[in-house]
Amino acid sequence: MEGFLGGLAILVDPWVMLMVFLGTVLGIFVGALPGISGSTTIALMLPMTIAMGPIPAICFLGAIYCAANFGGSITAIMVNAPGDPSASATALEGYKMAEKGQAGLALGMSAVSSAIGGIFSIFVLIIAAPLLARAAYSFGPPEYFALAVFGLSMCAAIGGDSAVKNLIAAALGVLLATIGMDLTTGTERFAFGIDELADGIKFVPVLIGLFAVGEMLDQVVRRAEKAKIIAMDAARVPGMAEFRKCNRSIWLGSVIGTFIGALPALGATTAALIGYNETRRWSKHKEEFGKGSIEGVAGPEAANNAAVGGSMVPTLALGIPGSATTAIILAGLIVQGVRPGPHLFTEQPTLLYAVFASMLAANLFYLGLGLYMAKFFARISLVPPAILWPSVFVLSIIGAYGPDQSMGDVVIMLIAGVVGFLFRRTGFSPAPLIMGLVLGGKMEETLKQSLIIFGDDVSLFATRPIAMTLLAITAVGLLWPLFSRLWRLRVAPR
Amino acid sequence: MRRARNPNHAIAATIAVVALCAIAATFTFEPVPPGLPGLGAVEFPRLVSGILLALALVLGLTAASPPTEEEVPRVSGQAWVIFALCLGFLPLVDMIGMIPAIPIFLLVVGRLWGGTAWPSLLLSALGMGIGIWIVFVKIFRLTLPKGWLGTMLGL
Repeated sequence: MEGFLGGLAILVDPWVMLMVFLGTVLGIFVGALPGISGSTTIALMLPMTIAMGPIPAICFLGAIYCAANFGGSITAIMVNAPGDPSASATALEGYKMAEKGQAGLALGMSAVSSAIGGIFSIFVLIIAAPLLARAAYSFGPPEYFALAVFGLSMCAAIGGDSAVKNLIAAALGVLLATIGMDLTTGTERFAFGIDELADGIKFVPVLIGLFAVGEMLDQVVRRAEKAKIIAMDAARVPGMAEFRKCNRSIWLGSVIGTFIGALPALGATTAALIGYNETRRWSKHKEEFGKGSIEGVAGPEAANNAAVGGSMVPTLALGIPGSATTAIILAGLIVQGVRPGPHLFTEQPTLLYAVFASMLAANLFYLGLGLYMAKFFARISLVPPAILWPSVFVLSIIGAYGPDQSMGDVVIMLIAGVVGFLFRRTGFSPAPLIMGLVLGGKMEETLKQSLIIFGDDVSLFATRPIAMTLLAITAVGLLWPLFSRLWRLRVAPR
Repeated sequence: MRRARNPNHAIAATIAVVALCAIAATFTFEPVPPGLPGLGAVEFPRLVSGILLALALVLGLTAASPPTEEEVPRVSGQAWVIFALCLGFLPLVDMIGMIPAIPIFLLVVGRLWGGTAWPSLLLSALGMGIGIWIVFVKIFRLTLPKGWLGTMLGL
């Protein structure tokens, strides 16, 4: 509690508070812009935060993360084009409400349920993260290795043939992480004499390229598509009757979102989709779904914002990102010289609790901004793409060039951009690649340390119950679809 | 009747080529003195590349529905021109410097993109260039490339 109060005290610092406010406004702004997600913005902003110092930088990025999920719901409701992928479930009912002339109510419910979900998950984060960190003190390299493998395997949990594609993207990320000097032997790997590669792949150009430039190139191809915009009334605070109706959906969404968010790799989008399905399953008004159900807005909105706090639990306590966006925030922490993990809670508690407090403040900011300025933010979707996307490209160039003032990094960013574009066209997601890139180094390091501890005897992993449990869950999770398919073939009538 | 092409085959083949190239590249690493405990420099990349190869095989065997035009729109000629202009931005920066190159790029690409009038594009391009100069050069003290022209003019 003392640490948290210390964190709250940091919010008295006008500079930090300004950063949280700017992060919130920027988050809603970009969240409302179809195509630019929170992760893209955080990747773009990362280089600018280097000069800020760790606390304002992380508070700024955390505020963007919190607010972008809410911002995405504005265009999901108004133009049926989710500004952020996590708002895709909101569009299902929100746009139908807008068509019925209830856009203001949908936006109001979205703001309130988002804030409740977000604040709920931050309290869970405040309680659960230190407990998880304390448990993680008993973790050695084998446990961290197993945890990293488990985290990457979760990329497969999205389903369809994308499960294999996600695993491929994650493996490519791990392979990219091996580029540069091997720290144990001093051998240069995959650098091919190129100076920019000798120190390894830098996070910032790759992140900007994959997310911002990849999306921009994709938008070039899709520039003929146009969204239909609906006239709106101002957002309004839902009344007691609407709250009573949505009460169950909001809490269900908050709990589901926090839980899903805390699982490595599964972020706000998955949380929102599961939140929507469960809201419909448990609703007393199932017949309203598909026709503009207010519960169908409240549930997924609470879930996608709750996933923000949930995903920060493993990120801060274990250094294992809970989502693509937290993987980028994790990269931001590393760039700032902060190494997330259990020791953070004893070494830099103020930084941690400042992050928690700033996220709390961001939720309150966007609640106010969402209720009173939603109409203004909805206009953001009117920014002409011919101005928006070329500007994103220019900002990406400066973002990649900025940290080391190297045109080589710009070239790496452009290559990553082409990869991001090809990924989008072939049904791959860039998020698992980032997870692999962030976790790859840790995975190799802990595997090497484990083998040194075990005297090169891999079977000794069996003597570590936590590591074995995690590896067993990973194996079952990966092989389950195969076994279930074989089982279906066996029992199917011939 | 011709069977629909499975797009996973081409993707899987590309991934397999990447994995095989990575494995081949590990043979070019400098040898490590024998006797070091644990994994050396080559084993982990080979392990990951092996996994990548196996996953490519699984992907190749996975049935996929062909992507629709809505999912993957065709790359039009104008889109290729915009891609080329994005690549051309770097030589332009080399020639005239980053700040002057920004409005030119925004104006030309914005015009090709379509749907926005010249005056709006011109105003936003100039605004962006000035905004970037204020934020990055004046506030963040970033030294942006001046290009051949900037150096010649002694800026």
